[in-house]
Amino acid sequence: MSRVVLKDLTKRYAGGNLAVDRLNLEVGDGEFVCLVGPSGCGKTTALRMIAGLEDISGGQVMIGDKVVNLLPPRDRDIALVFQSYALYPHMSVFDNMAFGLKLRKTPKPEIESAVREAARILDLERYLDRKPGQLSGGQRQRVALGRAIVREPAVFLMDEPLSNLDAKLRVQTRAEIAALQLRLGVTTVYVTHDQVEAMTLGHRVAVLREGRLQQCDTPRRLYEHPCNVFVAGFVGSPAMNLDRLPFDGTAARAGEVGIPLPGAAAAAARQAGLSEVVLGLRPESLSLELDGGGDGATRLSGAVHLVEDTGADAWVHVDAPGGSSALRLVALADARRLPAVGDRIVLAVRVAEAHVFDPATGERLGD
Amino acid sequence: MSAVQTAAPPLALRTRRLAVRFRPTRFVLNVILGLIALFWLVPTLSLLVISLRPASSFGVTGWWTVFTAPTQLTLHNYQSLFSTGFASGGILDSAITTALITVPATVLVTVLASLAAYSLVFGRWRGRTAVFLVIVALLVVPVQVALIPVAQLYNAFGHVSGFNPFGTLPGVIIFHVAFGLPFGIFLMRNFYTGIPKDLLEAGRIDGAGEWTLFRRVVLPLGLPAAASLAIFQFIWVWNDLLVGLVFLGGNQHHTLTIYLYGFTRTLANNYWVIATGGIISILIPLAIFFSFQRYFVRGVLAGAVK
Amino acid sequence: MATVPRRRSLVLRRAVATPAETGGASVDATGLVELGKPPGGGWRSHLGSLLFLAPAAIWLALIVGYPLVGTIRDSFFNNTSTGFVGLANYKTVFSTADILITFRNNVIWVVVAPFLLTFLGLVFAVLTERIRWSTAFKTVVFMPIAFSMTASGLVWNSIMNIDPHIGMLNATLQTVSDWVSPPGLYPVNTSAGQTVSSLAATGLKAGPGGTLESTAAVSPGGTVTLGMIGISPATLQLVGAQTADVPSPASGAVSGLVWRDFSPSHPTTRGQVYPDEDGIAGLSLSLLSSDGSSVGTTQTDAHGDFRFAGVNAGSYRVEVGSGNFSSGFTGIYWLSGTQSITPTSGLSQTAQALLSIPLVDMSMIIAYLWIWAGFAMVIIGAGLAAINREVLEAARIDGATEWQTFRRVTMPMLAPVLIVVFVTMTINVLKIFDIIVNMAPSVSQANTLATELYNVGFASVPSANGTASAIAVLLFILVMPVIYINLRRIR
Repeated sequence: MSRVVLKDLTKRYAGGNLAVDRLNLEVGDGEFVCLVGPSGCGKTTALRMIAGLEDISGGQVMIGDKVVNLLPPRDRDIALVFQSYALYPHMSVFDNMAFGLKLRKTPKPEIESAVREAARILDLERYLDRKPGQLSGGQRQRVALGRAIVREPAVFLMDEPLSNLDAKLRVQTRAEIAALQLRLGVTTVYVTHDQVEAMTLGHRVAVLREGRLQQCDTPRRLYEHPCNVFVAGFVGSPAMNLDRLPFDGTAARAGEVGIPLPGAAAAAARQAGLSEVVLGLRPESLSLELDGGGDGATRLSGAVHLVEDTGADAWVHVDAPGGSSALRLVALADARRLPAVGDRIVLAVRVAEAHVFDPATGERLGD
Repeated sequence: MSAVQTAAPPLALRTRRLAVRFRPTRFVLNVILGLIALFWLVPTLSLLVISLRPASSFGVTGWWTVFTAPTQLTLHNYQSLFSTGFASGGILDSAITTALITVPATVLVTVLASLAAYSLVFGRWRGRTAVFLVIVALLVVPVQVALIPVAQLYNAFGHVSGFNPFGTLPGVIIFHVAFGLPFGIFLMRNFYTGIPKDLLEAGRIDGAGEWTLFRRVVLPLGLPAAASLAIFQFIWVWNDLLVGLVFLGGNQHHTLTIYLYGFTRTLANNYWVIATGGIISILIPLAIFFSFQRYFVRGVLAGAVK
Repeated sequence: MATVPRRRSLVLRRAVATPAETGGASVDATGLVELGKPPGGGWRSHLGSLLFLAPAAIWLALIVGYPLVGTIRDSFFNNTSTGFVGLANYKTVFSTADILITFRNNVIWVVVAPFLLTFLGLVFAVLTERIRWSTAFKTVVFMPIAFSMTASGLVWNSIMNIDPHIGMLNATLQTVSDWVSPPGLYPVNTSAGQTVSSLAATGLKAGPGGTLESTAAVSPGGTVTLGMIGISPATLQLVGAQTADVPSPASGAVSGLVWRDFSPSHPTTRGQVYPDEDGIAGLSLSLLSSDGSSVGTTQTDAHGDFRFAGVNAGSYRVEVGSGNFSSGFTGIYWLSGTQSITPTSGLSQTAQALLSIPLVDMSMIIAYLWIWAGFAMVIIGAGLAAINREVLEAARIDGATEWQTFRRVTMPMLAPVLIVVFVTMTINVLKIFDIIVNMAPSVSQANTLATELYNVGFASVPSANGTASAIAVLLFILVMPVIYINLRRIR
C-alpha cells in the first residue's frame, strides 16, 4: 500500500554528470531501508527526488501505487527529517509540529491531540512552548522527528538525521528511531553515510556508489556476501582486509604460504582464467595464535605494527609477507591478551570465511 | 570623567598590561576624542539654541551667548511657526506632506523588495543571477539620470489618462519607490540567502505554497532585515530634497526639506525659521535613529554599496 | 511558451486527482514524464515566485530602466527633445565655462572628500576601540547621518557665516585673533574703502603705517588740539565719551585734546571746540621726538584730554597709534566663492578659474565630513570588529609592536572595507546636491554637475532638456566604474 518503488530513477545535472544513475529499488510497506554510501554517492539526491524536492531527470518514483514524479512534495504524503532539522526558528515547538497540519486545515482539536501525542512519545511535552533556539541538539532532533510523525505520512524520509549529534546521543537516538519505526510501522527511507547506523537500523541496506546501486540486502547478507569489492570494503568496521594476491589455480599466494580459496570461488577464478584475485578477510576471520598449536588452519606469520585497544576488543595490525608487496592485515584479538608492537606472531586464517573478488571487475567470485 | 574611569582599579586590573603601557596616552586620547565629540555636537546644539532664541537676536549676538544668559530662551519661534496651523506651505502642512510621501514609499519598497528578494533567492526560475546583477548595477544609478524622462513620462501618462502624476504626491512616491527598490532588493536578498534552504523545503513538505512560505516562514525570519530596510528607506525619503523639488514642482504642498530650502536665499532674515523648522524636520529621523539604532546601523552596513 | 504550461496544468490535474481514487489503478505516468522537465516543486512555485518579482521588476523597468535609455536619447536631441542634434549638447557642456567649473568642483569633491572621509573614519574607528565611552562617541558622531543634508547644510551655512555674531567659526577665530592683537576702539573698515587718513580734521595728518600725527610740533608746556571726524556718536557713547574741553597747559608736560570736530550746531565749522562736541576717549597716543622715536605714551580721558608729563625740552609730535583704528578680525568668507587658491602664472582666465580651488568647496567638504564621518567610522569599526582577534594576538606574539600590528596586519585585512567606504563615498559625492544648494545657494562658483543639471533642466525657464540630459549621461558615465567594481565584488 505505501511501498516506495524507484524505477530507473536518474538525476542528471546541467553539466551532464549523473548524480543518480538508473536506480531501481523497492521499499516494501512498513519496511525500513537505509541508503548508504560515501559522500557524493547520490543517496541524498535520490531521497530528495522521492520527496519531490529535486526534479527527476528520468525514471519513476512510485509511492503507494501511484507515480508521483509530477506531484509537489505536499501531495506525496511523505515526511522528511532533515540533517539540519530545518525547524522554523520563529515558531514554538508546538507550532513547528503543528504547521503541516494547520496548512492542511486539520481541525484544531485534532492538531492539538496529534501534537500532544507525538510530544508524549518523544518526551517533548515540557518543551512545547519553547523556541528551537532554546533546545539542545537532541531535543531539536526529536522535534524534527515529531514534526514528521504528527502528520502520519505514508512514508518517512530521513536525511542523515543523527549526524549533528554527539557520538553517545547518536547511539541512543538510533535505538529510539528504530523502536519508533517498529511501533509506527511506517515505510521509511533513511539516508546515512555511516554504515554502522545503516546496518543497525535498516531492515535492508542499499549501498550506493557514484550514483549506482551496488547492493541492496539485509545487513547480515550484506556483511557476509558483499557483491563486490566496494561493498566489501564499505561495510564492516574495521574494514575487511582486501589484498590483491597471485592465484595459482587453487590458492592465493601470500609469500611462502598458499591460502586455499573456497571451492566455488576458486572454480570461478579458474574459469575466468585469473592469475590474480582480490582476497577479502574480515578481521574476525584472522585470529592470533599466541600459544602456537591449533588445528590445520592456514597460518601467516608477521610482525605487529600497531595495536588498537578499544576495551572489549582490540585490533592488531600485522605486517605479513604478501604478493608483490607486504600485506598489512588487521586482526581481531582478545583485548586481555595483547601482543606488543614489534612482536612476531602467527595469524590463523579461517579460509572458509574468505571473500574472493575479480581484481578487474571487482565482482564477487563464487557464491 | 572618562580619564577618571580609565584609571579606576577594575579596568586596570583587567587589562593591566595595556593600562600600564597606555595610561598617559589614554588620558590625552580621551581628551582629544572628547573635543571631537564636542565639535560634532555643536552644529546640532546651535540649531536648537537658535530656534529657542528670539528671532531679533540673530546677527546681533551669537547663539553661544546663551551660556552666559540663558534667560533669553523662549518658545516663541515655535509658536510663530505653529500659529499658521495647517495652511498649505506652512511647517505643519510640510511635515504632513513629507509623511504622506515617506510612509507609502517606505511600505511599498519594503514589501516589494521582500517579495522580489524571495523570488530571487528561493524561486527556481532561470536567470535569477542575471536579474540580480542588473539590480546591483542599478544600485548606483544617480536619480538625476531619470528626472527628465520620468517627468516626460508623467506628462505623457497625463495626456492619456487625464491624471498627470507630475506635481502630485503619487508622482514623488513612484519615483522614490523605484530608486529605493534596488537597494531594498539587494539588502533583503543578502539576508534571505542566509536562511537555510532546508526550512523552505520543510515548508514545502509540510504543504506550504509559495505565498504561505513567504508569509509564514521567510517574512517572519527576515523581519530584522525588513526593519533595517524600512528605517533606512524612511530616513532616505524623509530627508530627500531633489526628488521633491522636481516632482512637486508647482504643488502648493511642500516637503520639509523644500520648506527649509525656500529660505536659504534670505537666510539672515529668516534663520529663526530655518532653525526652528530644521529642528522640527529632524525630530522624527532623530527619534527613529535613537529608537532603532541597531537596525539602522545594520541597514547602513548592508547599504555600504549604495 | 503559452501552451506548454497549459498542458502541464492538465497533466497535473490528472496526477492530483488520483489521491481520491487511490487504492486502485496506478496512473501510468511514463508518457507524462517524457513531456519535459518534471517540476518537482510544482509548476506553481516557478510561476508563483516569478510573480513575486514582477511588481518590482516592472517598477524598475519603467522608472529606472526606461528613463536611463530616454536620457541617453535626449542627450542627442535638442532642448525641447524634438530634433536630433548629434553631439551638440556635449559640445555645449564642454565649452560652457559655467559647466566646466561644475566639473572642476566635482573633481575637487571626488579627490578630497572620500579620501578625508575614509581617513577620518579609520582614525575614529581605531581610536574608539581604546576608550570606554566608545558607544557614546559613536552615537554623537553617527547622529548627523539621520539629518537631511538640507538641514545639515543650513546648520553649516550659519556656522560658517561671515559675521562673527552669527558664524561660530568666525567668532572663534575672532576671539583668538582679538586675544593675540585686540582691535581698536575706533575700527576703520578698510575692506569697505574707509581710510585712516580720512579721519584727520584739525591739526592731524596721515602718518606712516596707518597712524595719524599732529601737523605742528609742540614743546613741553604747550598744548595741541587735534580734531577728528568720521567717528560715530554711537561709538563715542559706547566708550563713555564726555564733552570736549581744552586742557590747561602744564610745565614740563605736553597737554592736549583729541575731539570729534563736528558740531551739529555748526556743521561746517572745523577747528573750533563747541560744547556740543565730545572728546575722543580712550585713544592711545605716543609722543614722538624729532627723530621719530617714541618718548612716552598716554591715553585720552573721557573728555579727550591727554598729558605727557616730565618731557625734556625739545620739539615733539603727537602720534595717534594705528592700533586705535585696527578693526581686528572681520571674518573669513567661507562660503562666498571669491576666496580661492588660484594659480597666478600666465594662464588664460578660464584656465585659472578651472585650476583654482575655491574656499567654498573646502567649507562644504567640512560640512560633508561632519555628516558622513560617522558612516565611515561605523563601517570601518564593523570591519575592525570582524578581524579575528587571534590573528592580532599571533602578530603580537611574533613580536610586532602596536603600530606594526596595525600597519602590517590590521590594515591589509581592513583594506576591502576601506575600499567599500571609499567607493560608496565617491558615488555619493558625484551626486552631491543638497549641501551645495543649501550652503552656497547663490554661489555659482560652488555648482556641481548635479546642481547644474537641476538649474539647466528644471530651475531655468525654458528648461534645456538636451543639455541637462547630456550632463546626466556624463554623471552616469562617471558612476559606471563603480557599477563594474560592485559587480565584480558580488560575483
